[in-house]
Amino acid sequence: MKGFLMGKAKKLHPLVDCEVPNLLEQIFPYSLPPLIRFDSPVVEYIDGEAVKFDFNSIKDRELLITDTTFRDGQQARPPYTVDQMVRIYDMLSRLGGPNGVIRQTEFFLYTKNDRETLDKCRALGHKYPECTGWIRAVKGDFHLVQEAGLKETGMLTSCSDYHIFHKSKFRSRKECIDKYCEVVDAAFEAGVRPRCHLEDLTRADIDGFVLPFVDRLMEMSRQVPPEQSVKIRLCDTMGFGISYPGAELPRSIPKLIYKLNRECGVPSDRLEWHGHNDFHKVHVNAATAWLYGCDVVNTTIFGFGERTGNPPLEGAIFEYIALKGDLCGIDTMAITELAGYMRSIGLPIPDNYPFAGRAFNTTSAGIHAGGLRQDERIYNVFDTERLLRRPPRIAITDKSGADGVAHWLNEFFGLKGDNRISKIKVHQLARWVMDQYEQQGRLTAISDQELEAKAKEFYPDYWQKYKLA
Amino acid sequence: MATVEERVKEVTARILGLEPDQIKSEHSFTEDLGAESVQSIELVAMFEEEFGIEMDEDAALAVETVGSAVKFITQVCRQQGVEVEQ
Repeated sequence: MKGFLMGKAKKLHPLVDCEVPNLLEQIFPYSLPPLIRFDSPVVEYIDGEAVKFDFNSIKDRELLITDTTFRDGQQARPPYTVDQMVRIYDMLSRLGGPNGVIRQTEFFLYTKNDRETLDKCRALGHKYPECTGWIRAVKGDFHLVQEAGLKETGMLTSCSDYHIFHKSKFRSRKECIDKYCEVVDAAFEAGVRPRCHLEDLTRADIDGFVLPFVDRLMEMSRQVPPEQSVKIRLCDTMGFGISYPGAELPRSIPKLIYKLNRECGVPSDRLEWHGHNDFHKVHVNAATAWLYGCDVVNTTIFGFGERTGNPPLEGAIFEYIALKGDLCGIDTMAITELAGYMRSIGLPIPDNYPFAGRAFNTTSAGIHAGGLRQDERIYNVFDTERLLRRPPRIAITDKSGADGVAHWLNEFFGLKGDNRISKIKVHQLARWVMDQYEQQGRLTAISDQELEAKAKEFYPDYWQKYKLA
Repeated sequence: MATVEERVKEVTARILGLEPDQIKSEHSFTEDLGAESVQSIELVAMFEEEFGIEMDEDAALAVETVGSAVKFITQVCRQQGVEVEQ
């Protein structure tokens, strides 16, 4: 099929005129991010069979987020200090809330620093996120897990032939599986729950290696108490995973999850998706895993992680709220605090980065500023002040006009209602802005820092009252 | 003491970079005298400073011509007890 060409209309659509606007508030409640609703099941053809997936079941499933900021997130940067990690852990706990939406976070266990961090995080006494470990698939590493008193640890069980043969130098797939299963046995013996990280899954031979391996893991799990049974982490190590229906294995996320979940029988709550962003697909791939039956997605704050990063935790948080239609105890304000903290310790967040960048809800055009003055919903994705303590803002250029300058100044000083500074009183700042372009020939937007300096100069009384008080 | 009209024309000339005698009562601030968005705000602010009054923002910005501004400012001065020459 070549696509749809212009032709005779199949159906006419009469105008539904009205004098009261229909703002579709059942989808766009504004007090929450726009809700994600489904009006029909999805069909995926797997091995020639039509398989239905009902995404509406998501409301009844316990979706969870896990965090790997201190493991994968730390592989992409110089080490955090112990105090920094404890502070981040504390904020993660508040963000995930009392229901443990952020259920677990994982720690390296190899250095004195790693172990001290783990002890200090646990000493905070938070129920969530639970602390888990991360080790190589080496039996000797289990003493680290045992000494740390952890109930669960992730372990590398790489599954593409790139890793099996070229990295780990196994002579055959059988030798590889036998070695992995020895380590799983060692975990059981140590009383530790193993979480097998199927590294490079989206480049692996699914039928020839992955499914037989997982079959064996499930068989082994039947010999131990349920709380020790193996969890499976689906690692899209190179970001090759694809969310589209009809994509083929090993890249198809729907098919991977279906095979592990319904053919191998790994329950949804023991499946976890771990993605990478090499092809800009990282967040949607994680959300796709949720939809197709994997209950857990693994993330890092602001997506910091190896190379292009991991699914951003704050993106998963807003996806979760949008799918569930409820905050579920999540404290979204902690995202803004985390962003401020990460900047303060030297981790850059791009200005246009969703939910946390300095300009994520900043609009530039004066005509948008006029719209924001009338009803901020026109140009704001949701109530960002309520959920993130970040009211919508205006970037000031020669197109901003006095409306834009007044909006910026009032937001900067936090003024509302009758306390707002009128357009007339912002004339000095508005003139300074225009002179930057008309007299100085400027071609870039004016930064917040420049405007703040001018606000201090032109409005010292307000500065004293609202910025120093 | 200068009249309200003379003072309005003086302020308008200063803000818009014109000579006072170029400005007529019937002139529109925007269409005839070329006032842009920010200059309109500056005009209102400078009229407030010149006459020592405070004007309602929306009402003041709705005034279109120099003659209307003279009437509007005279009225506000009267309401706020500010003496001016007619």
